[in-house]
Amino acid sequence: MRETFTKGMARNIYYGGGIFFLLVLIGLSVDTVRSLPKTDNSQNLTETVAAGKRVWEVNNCIGCHSLLGEGAYFAPELGNVYTRFGESTENIKAFIKYRPVDGIPGRRSMPQFNLTEEELEAIAQFLKYTDGIKTARNWPPNIQG
Amino acid sequence: MNTDDLQLKRATSSALLSLLNLTALPVIGFIGLLYVYSKTKPNTIDRYYAVVGIKTSLLAGIALLLVTLLVILLGGFESPLTWVYVTSYFVIVHASFILFATWTLTRSWTGEKLKRQILSK
Amino acid sequence: MKYESQGIAKMYFIAAIALFVGQILFGVTMGLQYVMGDFLFPEIPFNAARMVHTNLLIVWLLFGFMGSAYFLVPEEAERELYAPWLAKLMFWIFLVAGGLTILGYLLVPYARLAELTMNDLLPTMGREFLEQPTITKIGIVIVALAFVFNIGMTVLTGRKTVINLVLLTGLVGLAVFFLFSFYNPDNLVLDKYFWWFVVHLWVEGVWELIMASLLAYVLIKVTGVDREVIEKWLYIIIAMALISGLVGMGHHFFWIGAPAYWQWLGSVFSALEPIPFFMMTLFAFSVVNKRRRDHPNKAAVLWALGTAVMAFLGAGVWGFLHTLAPINYYTHGTQITAAHGHMAFYGAYVMVVLTMISYSMPLMRGKKAANVTAQKLEIRSFWMMTLSMVAITLLLTAAGTMQVYLQRYSAEPLPFMIVQDKLAIFYWLREVAGLIFLSGLFLYIYSFFAKGKEVEFIAEQAE
Repeated sequence: MRETFTKGMARNIYYGGGIFFLLVLIGLSVDTVRSLPKTDNSQNLTETVAAGKRVWEVNNCIGCHSLLGEGAYFAPELGNVYTRFGESTENIKAFIKYRPVDGIPGRRSMPQFNLTEEELEAIAQFLKYTDGIKTARNWPPNIQG
Repeated sequence: MNTDDLQLKRATSSALLSLLNLTALPVIGFIGLLYVYSKTKPNTIDRYYAVVGIKTSLLAGIALLLVTLLVILLGGFESPLTWVYVTSYFVIVHASFILFATWTLTRSWTGEKLKRQILSK
Repeated sequence: MKYESQGIAKMYFIAAIALFVGQILFGVTMGLQYVMGDFLFPEIPFNAARMVHTNLLIVWLLFGFMGSAYFLVPEEAERELYAPWLAKLMFWIFLVAGGLTILGYLLVPYARLAELTMNDLLPTMGREFLEQPTITKIGIVIVALAFVFNIGMTVLTGRKTVINLVLLTGLVGLAVFFLFSFYNPDNLVLDKYFWWFVVHLWVEGVWELIMASLLAYVLIKVTGVDREVIEKWLYIIIAMALISGLVGMGHHFFWIGAPAYWQWLGSVFSALEPIPFFMMTLFAFSVVNKRRRDHPNKAAVLWALGTAVMAFLGAGVWGFLHTLAPINYYTHGTQITAAHGHMAFYGAYVMVVLTMISYSMPLMRGKKAANVTAQKLEIRSFWMMTLSMVAITLLLTAAGTMQVYLQRYSAEPLPFMIVQDKLAIFYWLREVAGLIFLSGLFLYIYSFFAKGKEVEFIAEQAE
């Protein structure tokens, strides 16, 4: 690099740029959190949905599935599974409930989690709520996720 | 500025323009290279780097645009395999050209030629 | 090695490499599960294997960063470590906590682990990469604080150089941003938004500071180029990392229900994120070109150059490939992401830790450089691991492109599992590449024990 560009100048760009963009990020985050209620479907965030999120978490569903595109890519996207399963929480519950304990020979299979009826209802409601989140351009691109 | 400094400056400009032609300023970088070339004299370091830059650009043009276009024409726009090939091929070949241009740039900074005769003849 | 306490790094590095082996073993297991879905089912379901794979990666990289800091900081600060006993104690605490957590993932169902560790009191589990039980997370915070305190006191009471100050900033950032992992609101969008404050601000933020300072340190040592020059580069690289990376976080907010302006901000700023990685390549090439000596440790020089190049490819090029919103709309959450993740982590963070190990391990064993045979094997293992990682990345990119086309782009999109079946050939080849990587790793470990002719020194003694 040229001699005219000194270490001091580089240092100032680092501190100046770093602090400036950290402040920008904080500002944008405040704005984002404020405007989330328009899209985040929080009006449907019931206690059952919250319980369903816990069921989702403690069974590590994200270890195979993606949810709004984030997670593992081993099993289908679930951000729109409610739509894909014919807008039926019963279909979702039945699918989870009847997974074979020993899997399917040669193929990927979801484990049998032995969820209670209450937990099944909660996770189904959670996935329904997730489907209601207004993502940009209605992501995912189509029903297959 | 004396001749040596000017030559060195043109040499690094050439290397930089070649890199820019591959990244942020395609075509414009190439036109810049032709301009720098027009100012150089034979058997100088700046001519050397202008030639390396121009050859890199031309070769990259063929390897990236022509080959990709041919693959799409032959493979068909509607075939997923076309895109599988184009994506993997384009990314890795493009990146390789960028890495080569980057190395060239660092060599031009010290005013040395490349160790092997690549694209300079 | 000038200071005795630098030697503490050795135990950290040995643990890091051991856990690295575990990570790769589970990696090839998962690779097989992609094509033989019932492999080890239901004993080790995919989700458990993946947790082990990713969590071991994080833990061993942290061991690597800590070891690197313990080696680097005393020398830069020109004093012994503030509290060597604390560094040793924290090593064992971290190792035991990490080991127990991994065993927990494997031996009991995850839901049972959540119950046993009383996740209900402060639910933090079950989010990608943050699967650790809350108690483990608290342990990580304690270890990180003790570590940052130890390093911080050493730096602040010793010589302050740009390298150790930047490293310290990165490590403080690492500890601070991890605190977001304790925030887990019921609102999924909010949860996802702040989850990225750990994940993105680590790997595309403060870890880049750590990486750049480690690389700068090794390059000073092996090339003998003037410190002033290297420090100027270091500042400008990390400046670009923060300028592009902080708002560049927006590329994670495209499809999670966040406001639409992130589409623009995220695209523009994250499109700049390759720049710091590109500059690292330029920097490494430039100082190696201008080197004042040929260091006897050729393997370390190769690792340093390799880090710069592979980080640029994995984090820079493969990140840019799918970072613009209109493209990410189709590629988000496909094998394209997996391709990028693999090469970025390997190229940037795995390789920088291996660079530090390669440079420092011979010094801690009382030599300037490993013997000729050992270096030859190490260099061969470098190529085996690096080229197989390139192959893995290309194959996953191919699989991802096919997946995007069939599942997202074509006029009649196919269901996920049907598409997965069509990708089997890519997954099989990826598994082969994974096994070559594993062999390369074994060769790497063997190289530490290989006997051979000692390297000869040129008159000028390298440090």
